[in-house]
Amino acid sequence: MLDHNEIIATLEMVRNEHLDVRTVTLGVSLLDCASDDLARLQDNLYRRITETARELVPCCDDVAEKYGIPIVNKRISVSPMAVVGAGFSDSDFVRMAETLDRAAREVGVNFIGGFTALVEKGMARGDRALIEAIPVALAETERVCASVNVASTQAGINMDAVLTMGRTIKEAAERTRHLDGLACAKLCVFCNIPPDIPFMAGAYLGIGEPDAEINVGVSGPGVVKKAVDRALEKDPGLDLGSISEVIKKTAYKVTRVGELIGREVAKRLSIRFGVVDLSLAPTPHVGDSVGEIFQSLGLKSIGLPGSTAVLAMLNDAVKKGGAFASSHVGGLSGAFIPVSEDLNIAEAAASGALTLEKLEAMTSVCSVGLDMVAVPGDTTAETISAIIADEMAIGMINGKTTAVRLIPVPGKGAGETARFGGLLGGSVILPVRGAGTQNRFVGLGGRIPAPVQGLKN
Amino acid sequence: MSKLIITVLGQDRPGILAGVSGVLFRLDCNIENVSQTILQSQFAGIFIATSPPDTSTQSVLYHLQEELLPRNLYVHITEMDGGQEEISFPESDPFVITTMGPDRKGIVAAFTAILARHQVNVTQLHAVFKGGDDPHNNTMIYQVDIPRNIDQKSFRFELREKAAEFHLDISIQHRDIFESIHRV
Repeated sequence: MLDHNEIIATLEMVRNEHLDVRTVTLGVSLLDCASDDLARLQDNLYRRITETARELVPCCDDVAEKYGIPIVNKRISVSPMAVVGAGFSDSDFVRMAETLDRAAREVGVNFIGGFTALVEKGMARGDRALIEAIPVALAETERVCASVNVASTQAGINMDAVLTMGRTIKEAAERTRHLDGLACAKLCVFCNIPPDIPFMAGAYLGIGEPDAEINVGVSGPGVVKKAVDRALEKDPGLDLGSISEVIKKTAYKVTRVGELIGREVAKRLSIRFGVVDLSLAPTPHVGDSVGEIFQSLGLKSIGLPGSTAVLAMLNDAVKKGGAFASSHVGGLSGAFIPVSEDLNIAEAAASGALTLEKLEAMTSVCSVGLDMVAVPGDTTAETISAIIADEMAIGMINGKTTAVRLIPVPGKGAGETARFGGLLGGSVILPVRGAGTQNRFVGLGGRIPAPVQGLKN
Repeated sequence: MSKLIITVLGQDRPGILAGVSGVLFRLDCNIENVSQTILQSQFAGIFIATSPPDTSTQSVLYHLQEELLPRNLYVHITEMDGGQEEISFPESDPFVITTMGPDRKGIVAAFTAILARHQVNVTQLHAVFKGGDDPHNNTMIYQVDIPRNIDQKSFRFELREKAAEFHLDISIQHRDIFESIHRV
């Protein structure tokens, strides 16, 4: 028999602490959809996606109802389109993006990721065409997400690609000027991109993955915050070692929910279960914020001195608790600090407590990078590329994933507000020091060699 | 040898279990199952025990009453294998139905009527109504087996309608979610 306190505690987590499964993402391999005829390729893509994913949304809804746990997002990730569509032109790639968008609409998922190129060591023709297509593709579609891996610990940093991505981001922003540069919210630049991320905008299905796979992204910053609050209320003298234990145990519970639900969805769809991404993924709602955990731990605001240490501890405790709770862990796995998507972090940015430089420092100890950061519209492509290069360096040297999702908001300057809507939230525009100055460094091109950390063989 | 169902009810105090089990031991009875609970200050225990062939049910009852009546405890015995009707349960899934909200007369009756109508068997019910605003003080937790062959949608719809009528928050969740979260 169940303990009544366990039942009540679970209900509290769902009702008051925003416990949910943030995303169930169906990976669909498109590698064998390739064709030398664009229409046939589009037809293959559409059929493969809609046939594989037809039952995804109703199945997730049923499983959510069975366990009383909301599954907030149902999504699809596909094989890197730069490989699937290699041989076609950039305008053809825009057509492919439209097909992905149409397929996503048909099966009722809110995002489809995998408009992706992996170019850490160099660009092939397909990669180049896809990257050229990104601004138009993202501006003209609603649900397609793009990602480009420009660096890895094994290959170093492809600085030519970094420079290209600075320009791509600027153009994507410009093409969605009326929406505060919304296209950039659907575009991530990566170092060490994992092949099984369920979260957007970085989700794609890696080359080494099966025909189809279910990957799950869990959430739960609100649950962690409340657990920390309760523990400190009970014993105000609790030290950080003990608080870390509380976070670990909470991460365990949150991850178990993802594991149970992911497995059930996979079983019902007869698709292999892939991984749980152990993440604290916030939303722009009070009580569902990673930033609020920093306040529970005694900082006045995220971004102030102490923040990097708090984030390091938080990220580590989430991994330890989550790893034990799940049979297969993957994706990004750690705490997210997306500025506009986390109400509390957005407020910290607005108050001046959180700066771009501090965010960058924090990304050296967490699982993502400069995520959903709005910067002035007049930030040059070279400066954006230089910010990307810095972030890629952190990932490359530390053997971890880092990503950049910057939005240079057209026509707006530092201190003004950008709004992206829905779960993407909104944020004050952070100033970028030296935004307009020339940057010869990023124009030097070539590759930053792989670090000695990559020489593991 | 017969199988006995022994029920003991009354004001809780130390020594009730020792009293019952001591009598059964002296009569050479073997206890197979025991379950007890305490509601507010009241003890309720149910024992299933086998008695030796030469010991009558009446004699077990006599000795138990001798032990328990002076302590104001009520005891009742029935024989288990006495032509009791075999009830077969359909294939079911274990769910937990929880409600929280203001106390009103008739809540338990209203919900159990829906459960009964849909052949849903309650395996455990924990209900507390203390009044006030704290939802924890006004809670019903039904652990139930929901037959697979019933109309799940209309069953859930009826429960939710009833909960809305009584201004209660209701949740209906498969029990695996609780085990997954809280147990290693």
